Amino acid sequence: MAEHELTTVVNQLRSSPPTTPYTTTTSLLSRAKLLLLQLNALTPSPSVPVQHLVLARDIYELGALASIRAKNPDAFTRYVSQLQPLYEVLQGHADAAEAAANSVSGERNKITGLYLLLLLTQGRYAEFHSELEALSSSMSSMNDVEADRYLGYPIRLERWLMEGSYDRVWKAMKKGEVPCEEFGVFSEILTYQIRSEIASSSERAYPSLPLSSTKSLLFLESEGAVVEFARSRGWIVKDGQIYFPSAQEEEGEQEKEISQMMIENTLGYARQLETIV
Amino acid sequence: MPGKTPDKEPVENGGYRGGKDIDMKDKDLKPKGKKASKKEGDDEMTVVVPPSKTQSSAPPPNDADGDISMDDSDKMGDEVKVDPVVQTMNADIKSNFALLDRAVALFDARFSLRALRSISSIRKRLTPDILAQVVSETYPSSSPSSSFARQILVMVGRPDMSLGRQPGPEMEIDSEPKAAGKNGAKKEVKEVIPEIDVFLGILTQVLLHDSKAFQKGFEFSSYLVDRIRSLSRRTLDSLSAKVYFYYSLFAEQISPMPPSSQSPIVSIRPALLAALRTAVLRKDVDTQASVIVLLLRNYLLTSHIAQADLLVSHTQFPENAANNQVARFLYYLGRTRAIQLRYTEAHEHLTAATRKAPSSACALGFSQTATKLLLVVELLMGDIPDRATFRQPNMETALHPYFLLVQAVRVGNLEDFETIIADHADTFRRDGTYTLILRLRQNVIKTGIRMMSLSYSRISLRDICIRLHLGSEESAEYIVAKAIRDGVIEATLDRERGFMKSKEIGDVYATREPGEAFHDRIRACLALHDESVKAMRFPMNQHRLELKNAQEAREREREMAKEIQEGDLDEDDLGGEFEGM
Repeated sequence: MAEHELTTVVNQLRSSPPTTPYTTTTSLLSRAKLLLLQLNALTPSPSVPVQHLVLARDIYELGALASIRAKNPDAFTRYVSQLQPLYEVLQGHADAAEAAANSVSGERNKITGLYLLLLLTQGRYAEFHSELEALSSSMSSMNDVEADRYLGYPIRLERWLMEGSYDRVWKAMKKGEVPCEEFGVFSEILTYQIRSEIASSSERAYPSLPLSSTKSLLFLESEGAVVEFARSRGWIVKDGQIYFPSAQEEEGEQEKEISQMMIENTLGYARQLETIV
Repeated sequence: MPGKTPDKEPVENGGYRGGKDIDMKDKDLKPKGKKASKKEGDDEMTVVVPPSKTQSSAPPPNDADGDISMDDSDKMGDEVKVDPVVQTMNADIKSNFALLDRAVALFDARFSLRALRSISSIRKRLTPDILAQVVSETYPSSSPSSSFARQILVMVGRPDMSLGRQPGPEMEIDSEPKAAGKNGAKKEVKEVIPEIDVFLGILTQVLLHDSKAFQKGFEFSSYLVDRIRSLSRRTLDSLSAKVYFYYSLFAEQISPMPPSSQSPIVSIRPALLAALRTAVLRKDVDTQASVIVLLLRNYLLTSHIAQADLLVSHTQFPENAANNQVARFLYYLGRTRAIQLRYTEAHEHLTAATRKAPSSACALGFSQTATKLLLVVELLMGDIPDRATFRQPNMETALHPYFLLVQAVRVGNLEDFETIIADHADTFRRDGTYTLILRLRQNVIKTGIRMMSLSYSRISLRDICIRLHLGSEESAEYIVAKAIRDGVIEATLDRERGFMKSKEIGDVYATREPGEAFHDRIRACLALHDESVKAMRFPMNQHRLELKNAQEAREREREMAKEIQEGDLDEDDLGGEFEGM
């Protein structure tokens, strides 16, 4: 009964266009979750039959994608953490029954790729790498991971970001290397992120910059946007050149800090010596 | 008597018949396995030992002695040949029972530890026959733990041996009246203590592990763990730590092997966590330390880094744990931190781990693995490891791929770096350092830029791009800018003319760096001092002796006081005189 109803809900969700308002999707999803509860398949356990687990996975995947489209990262993270144990249990069933890998793994890579990208944009690098480690051990080799359409994208982006090849990130986003539209949601955040990264490194690297070339440096549309951006960061625009406020003032404080530290250390040694002798 | 019917197998046995032994790809067991696989021909030495020595080797419990001497006389009739090795082994194992007895009587864990330490020497010579013989001699058939003993017999493949073999004839033949007269009363009361059960259980685990009967070993271990939990004796603490260790070792060896999430190691987690909880509540340091280490290893094997991290943050590793456990713990912790990009912490933990690792050859595997990881972490931190590390004779070959890697990073040659990764990908993957090494790419670039900045006062971005094999000039510009911001180089960029201009390198002694290095060293020395103070041991009950001495001293003092009192007058007189003066 519930199973049949669930299948119809899943189909309904699948067939609905991506433009469907988030509220309709969520109401459908919560109905589906109630049905899952009736089937005892809301949380995976070994006793649940495989087809129910597959249904549960479909629901969660659809929910995850919907929440990404609605730009709701919290909901997405929730769906991902619900999906992860499910994937593992399903993987187990697949190993046992030698079932077709495709029917079982579903959209795992897509979801994981999105999750990686989310972690990347939120600057949670530790979790990003933990996730990556798990991937590389579950996949047969790292090359497979990188070759995957969905997984390779965030991995490459991370590498470029770490290296500082921001232009490649930019090109990747512009040239339609984005594997599917859900990934595009993050492009805006990423653009903002690399722009502020470039800005902070430019402050240190250049004594001054001409306005015209800053436009291309920061991937901005017009010079007006450059001026605006410069103002928001507190840069001084003069005669078509941008000057950065120097970081000279900090020096004196640092000097003070050093002597403070020295005193602290020496006192510490004295105290320790006292206890030893 | 149930024990007299040898063919009546315990019910559990039915399951083991079907259980097939999984044939093992002898996978290099990383740190722990290495320790085990050392085998030397110590046998000659033991052969020389005359059987008479057996009597003297187990002095305190009289009945163990009695058993052995009975054994000698009895053997002649029972079995035709008596192998002296079997004899000495038998005695060796039994001498440990004495230690365990004492551990229980005095409630001092050090005796159990000593018994455990002897396992490594027993291990080399242990055979199913010896173990079966010891078991059958140790347990009287009516003993409450006879079902346990029979379990061991089944496990070592001697299910038809009867229990209470020696005590049986003993009663019948001669010593019945004598034993009753001499130590019979004691014998009635004395039953085999559970510590001995568990000790024999551990020996069984060792034997099964060495004979690669992993499935069997795993089942037996689960049984043993259940038994320990139901016994719940504090004197079992250090023994149970060992039992859990083998329990999880067996679980790792059963297919599907660890990286798969279906591996049995996932299913033993609840048992380990329960053991951890009990150990923490009881302040059972040995079990606590070893179970934490096992859990960490368990999580890392399936790449559940988040869980490992949570475990570390929610538990406190016991401070006074055994050195080896500390080393392992630090290694796993360092590994977790390295994956989480917390390199400074990782470096700290791994350095400590490599230093704490036993320097003898028996833990070479551990040292190698820890060193490899440490090297990668050092590289990731932007440091170049000491060349001497690679020259150590027992590490040289194992570390060779890493040596090449370090060379590439040091020179900042991206091309070499890529080829080395490609060439040694399998090695790195096996060591579990592959993903970490992939992160090194940015370091190679940074080093390259630094070299360039040191050698040229001014260089065009185009040249940088060509030398570092970067994609485009634009990339080079961004990368250099980032390097300047991160403090890798001291330079400025000129966008219009497209070059990088290096700043004069300041005097390093004008910075705070020497002070910091000095501080670090002093701190290390102080920590060493503190630790050595903490490591001092004071024997139990020594203070009583001191108290006694103190009491004597007090008495002496009192006497002295009395004498002074008697002579007080003189003093007073003297004082008087002085006052008078």
